[in-house]
Order: sequence, then structure tokens, then C-alpha cells
Amino acid sequence: MLNAGASTTFAQALDISSGGQPTITGAVNGSVTGSASVTTDLVVTINFGEVSPLNPNAIVKVVVPVAIRSNQPYQVSVTSSGLINANGQAVQASDVGFGIDDVRPLGGAGKVCTRSTHTIRSPFDNDPATTVTVGTNGRVSYSSSLANVSGSTVILSGPELSKNNSAKRQQSDGYVFDAIFTLTPQFFAAGVSSATLIFTISPGPNVPC
Amino acid sequence: MLVVAAVTGLGQSTTGTVTMSATVSKFVEINSGGAVTLTGNLGGGVTTDGVLNSPLAVSINLGELGPGNPNSFVTARVPLKLRSNAPYVLSVSATVNSSGTSTSRIGAADIGFGLGTVSRTGTGVDSSGTDTNATSGDPTLAANGSVNATTGRYEFTGIRSNLSSFASATTALSGPIIMNAVPRSNANGLTVPAFFAVKPQFFENGTTTISVTFTVTAP
Repeated sequence: MLNAGASTTFAQALDISSGGQPTITGAVNGSVTGSASVTTDLVVTINFGEVSPLNPNAIVKVVVPVAIRSNQPYQVSVTSSGLINANGQAVQASDVGFGIDDVRPLGGAGKVCTRSTHTIRSPFDNDPATTVTVGTNGRVSYSSSLANVSGSTVILSGPELSKNNSAKRQQSDGYVFDAIFTLTPQFFAAGVSSATLIFTISPGPNVPC
Repeated sequence: MLVVAAVTGLGQSTTGTVTMSATVSKFVEINSGGAVTLTGNLGGGVTTDGVLNSPLAVSINLGELGPGNPNSFVTARVPLKLRSNAPYVLSVSATVNSSGTSTSRIGAADIGFGLGTVSRTGTGVDSSGTDTNATSGDPTLAANGSVNATTGRYEFTGIRSNLSSFASATTALSGPIIMNAVPRSNANGLTVPAFFAVKPQFFENGTTTISVTFTVTAP
């Protein structure tokens, strides 16, 4: 007797993945690695490179597209660890601009909801490269930065994202947003700084589609 | 009995990770702190002047240094501006070449030199830093020179008060970090004047070329 069978593990109700190739500008000896495929996991490594005055550029900017899918209202939160330098003149969380921009359908299978919107939570609803200011102490700041991420911080929420309760990630079955990071070269205290952000999608406020 | 089964596990995730890093290297720079002031000269002048916050590239014609110049000293004051994100050292090296051949020709010891008052002011400057001036300051100060009782020649006698002390790169000034975390476009920094002085004397006639190099490093 020959028995043959196949089973399919159905898709989770919520999913986060790469939204496309991340990009970096203004870097000296910097880079960003991540997948251009929207069906691969979100795993991105940013090297801002040299951020002392040896970098003659005005700002280093990184854009990370993030794809999200859901069959229910959702929210995206982020946690941040690192960038705790005892020397106040070293790179701090407040020196890394962080904002969310351009929430858009991934493709034709992204659900269009007319009774609710996808809402970027304040203060993250900006491109930090356009909100650069110089404080009274001469240090650069932004409308939002990694210093605004405290514990698990909700950055985006909205109604259902996907038309189809698909069994697997598709090229077009959700939405994508840009996570933007900026760092302005300054007379920081010398050294190497690092941080890790974790983006999480989870059930959100119950809003109609 | 043979059982064959296929199970498709579909990779999805509710989390994604972004890791980031940034490097800040030691950085130091020296630029002009502004226009040169030349006093006591007879003839001569500033050929290439200092331009505030521009690379230091000054050329000065001290003019007549013989007894035809009745002034006490010919003095050039050259403002310097230093910036750093690390402790710094400013060193000086100098060469002096004269067309004369006797001991009365102008030599390195006849060129008075010193760094004046250091100033750490302005937004973005670490004003708490304390700098160490290895020179004796303005070489024309009475305490920094006198007439040699034996030779009659005027000499700059203070510690590192003439260019003979800088035949090779020698520390003239050092200190802690100058700048706080501000962009390079912030124009402030540590300012200090460099003084050069010659006392007109019965030097052997001829021409003299003096070349001075300022180098700032972050050891």
C-alpha cells in the first residue's frame, strides 16, 4: 500500500518582511545590506560609515522599505537597544534621526480600505533628513529620532492590509512603508557606536476597513 | 507499506531586524584665524594674507631689518584656528636661510617666536579645556629677550622664544578635545595668535627666507 499526502501550513494572520532594496546616501565607507525581494524576511544591516568631519557630506541617509501583510487590523511597533554612550559627546540615540514615510500598497492584492487610514504615529511621520535643526548648543537634532523609541513604541497602525488570505507571501498582497534613518557628520567623540531595532507587527486597534 | 508525505512550511514572520553601526575617527584641523597684523616694518608687507577659516597659507615680507629701520621690532601676528574631536598636539618646524656668510647674518635664533593667549569661546567649543603653551608667548615682551652683554647682539632668551628651538617639529601647544558634537559647518574653534619678531640690527646685508610649518595631530 502506498500512501502519499501533502499538507500546507497556512499563512499567519500578520506578517512583516523586506519591502525592497534598502539604500544609503552621503556615506563615506558606509553600506547597507538587505534583500530586494519582498518575500524574504526583514534583516537589514546598516553601516553609516565615517560620521566625523572626515565625512564632508551634509548627512548620511538610509531608507529601508518594510512590507507588511495582515488579514486583520494591525499595528507596527519598534524596540531599540544600544547607543548608550557615557560620553555625552559620543553618538547618542538622539543623533540618529528616525521617521516613517510613504505608506503605499505593495501591489494589486493590497486591500484598499475607505473607512480607516494607515496612520503613522507622531512624531515619526516625517523624513528626518528634512527636519534637521541645530540646537542652541550647536548640535544637530531631528523632529524624531531613536531617542523617541522607548520600550515597545507603536509607529504605525491601520485596517486590514491584504485582500487575500494567502497561504504564503506574495509580491503584491500588502503594504510597504519606508523606515528612514539619518546621521549628520559632526565633531562626535571618537569611537564606534551600534544599535539594534526590532520591528514587530501585531493585532492593532479594531478599525473598520 | 511506504508512506510518502510532503509538508510545505511557508516562511513568514511577525518581526524584522535592523542593526546599525557608525564610526567616528579622530579628527583635527588647523586653519587661518584671520588677517595678519604686521607692525614696525619699513617697506615690506603682507603678501598673502590669512583668510578666516581657510587653509593657513600666509606669506609676509618683513621689509628692512637693518639699522635703517628705526623701530624697536618688526612683528607679525598670525591668527590660528584649531579644531578637534580628540586631544591634540600643535607642533612647529622652521627653516631659516640667509644669503650672508658671516656670523652676523640673520639666523633662526634672531627670529623671535611665540604663541599668545589661547581662546576657547563660541557655541560648540569645549570651554572647559586647559591648554599647555610650550612657548614663552609674545617674544617682544621684556622678559623674553635682552642684549647679550658680551656680543651686544639682541637675543630672544625665553624658553622656546625663537625659531632655533624649532629646527625640527617641536610641540608648541597641546590640550584636550576642542569641539563638542557640532557639524563641521560650525565655524568656531580654538584661536591662538602666532607671533614672529625681529629686532632691526647691524645684520650682515643680504636676504633671508623663513619657512614655518604648523602641524596639528591627535596622538
